[in-house]
Amino acid sequence: MTELYLYPVWLRAWHWLNALIFLVSLVTGISMHFSLGWLIPFEVAVPVHNASGIVLTVSWVAFIIGNWVSGNGKHYLINLRSLPMDLFRQTRYYVYGIFVNAPHPFHVSEEHKLNALQTMSYVGVMYVLMPLLILSGWAFLLSPSLPETVLGIGTIWIVAMTHLVLSWMLLLFLIVHVYIITTGETVMTNMRAMLTGWHRERGPQPERAGDDAG
Amino acid sequence: MSNRYSCPDPSRPAADAAIRRPAAGLAVFALLVLWLAVPAVSGAAPGDAAKALEPAGETAEEVPGIERDDSPECMRCHWMETMAYRDRDTRKIVDLSIDRDVYRHSVHADLACRDCHARGYKHYPHRTSSADEALHCVGCHAERGDDGAPDLTDISLEFQESVHAIEASRPFDCFSCHNPHTFRPVEDGAPVEAVVATTNRLCLDCHTKLDTPVPKGHEWLPKPREHWASVRCIECHTPVEGRDMYQPSHALLGAPESNRNCVECHTQGSELLSQLYNYRAAEQREQEGFFAQALYNDAYIVGMSRSPLIDRIGLALAALMVLGVIAHGFGRYLAYRKQRASR
Repeated sequence: MTELYLYPVWLRAWHWLNALIFLVSLVTGISMHFSLGWLIPFEVAVPVHNASGIVLTVSWVAFIIGNWVSGNGKHYLINLRSLPMDLFRQTRYYVYGIFVNAPHPFHVSEEHKLNALQTMSYVGVMYVLMPLLILSGWAFLLSPSLPETVLGIGTIWIVAMTHLVLSWMLLLFLIVHVYIITTGETVMTNMRAMLTGWHRERGPQPERAGDDAG
Repeated sequence: MSNRYSCPDPSRPAADAAIRRPAAGLAVFALLVLWLAVPAVSGAAPGDAAKALEPAGETAEEVPGIERDDSPECMRCHWMETMAYRDRDTRKIVDLSIDRDVYRHSVHADLACRDCHARGYKHYPHRTSSADEALHCVGCHAERGDDGAPDLTDISLEFQESVHAIEASRPFDCFSCHNPHTFRPVEDGAPVEAVVATTNRLCLDCHTKLDTPVPKGHEWLPKPREHWASVRCIECHTPVEGRDMYQPSHALLGAPESNRNCVECHTQGSELLSQLYNYRAAEQREQEGFFAQALYNDAYIVGMSRSPLIDRIGLALAALMVLGVIAHGFGRYLAYRKQRASR
């Protein structure tokens, strides 16, 4: 049995708060986008979406500062030398190995709590997609200060399409994210880790140890 | 912004019609005499009202137009709410009363009666020919440009191309929509709802069949009431080209030429959408301050960020993803059963 304390309180608190804010933004955004008054009335959805967008900005800044101060940021550094092989092994496990009860190619440690696929997707989401989503949201709010057209295309349209595409991409991420956390040693292993902070796994060489924390 | 410019005399077109025939002119005269007599009989001498309005030691510049020169003389009769006559041709009531309080707040408040109604009104009773005074907003504004009257030439040119000028069944001019005795432009920074309501009121006062739950000719438009309250009629009923955000076009379009394309507002970065969106957001920020605007901005237009293609791709990918996840989970379940069976 290995026990690792991987998720300090601030990180768990941030994670669940961020999840809540993101879900609120998602549901209000969908309600406005598709005009689903029965989901959330339009007059409610607009201010709530604006507010959650602003709070999401604060949350993102808190994440960056937290990573920097606590050293958690090291988990998001990509090892370019080993990346191709790590990615290959991880992908092969998800598309094949997992169905034949093959051993997990990656094991969680204090130094590396994220496998190569996770690192790539989290860096993509938190350092690329999320800031772009936030920027496009603020561009909506501050649209009167923007030029009316950029290269002959309406600025609002560019902003709207950017916000829309990023929202769709993050929705896709959310689906995969929620599913992948069930691929730990047991279905609940990773979920429990993000709730308690402790990553618990049987034996030093488990036969089918999943490990990825979502 | 809403309609800023206008000129005197709302009742003129009808009055013109009345004056063209001697019999109608006589009717006007008879009624004027009658209306003068009413307050005398009821004990309220018209002179009392005029006296009450006399300025107390103000200089000529500070005195409102309605209290200046011989305006109090005019108001001895024209203050009465019931001052009106029925036009013989149109059978409509022509209102000749002036609400002093409203006039004092109008954009023309500085003008005395005879600044505009210069001819033939000095003496009472007025001659029937006096009503044929043919006041022109554009000319008057041009003459008084130095006093700050805005130039109406562009508006006049736009109007000449409008459906009101080309297809109206009865004589149509500035006064058909704008009452110079009450007109006041919507102030910069007024709430968006107020701008929309004031502007649309001008249209709906005549187009009464549009002020219903299922407006005539707009049966195709979903949620008409919400549209009436959120956007100005002229958003769809004026040409997109050459718009000025702060001076609405007067080149009003008829039904066939007007925008009936929902996506002009509700998707893509059309000129119409960009203008409306920016205008609304800017108005709101000016009015409510930065943070309130960021939080409560209701400039969002349903479906504005819609792109059917992106939505279709997004929905398809999300559906595939969910199916893939279910299939993957099922595969894992089978592997788990196999492992348990082999133990």
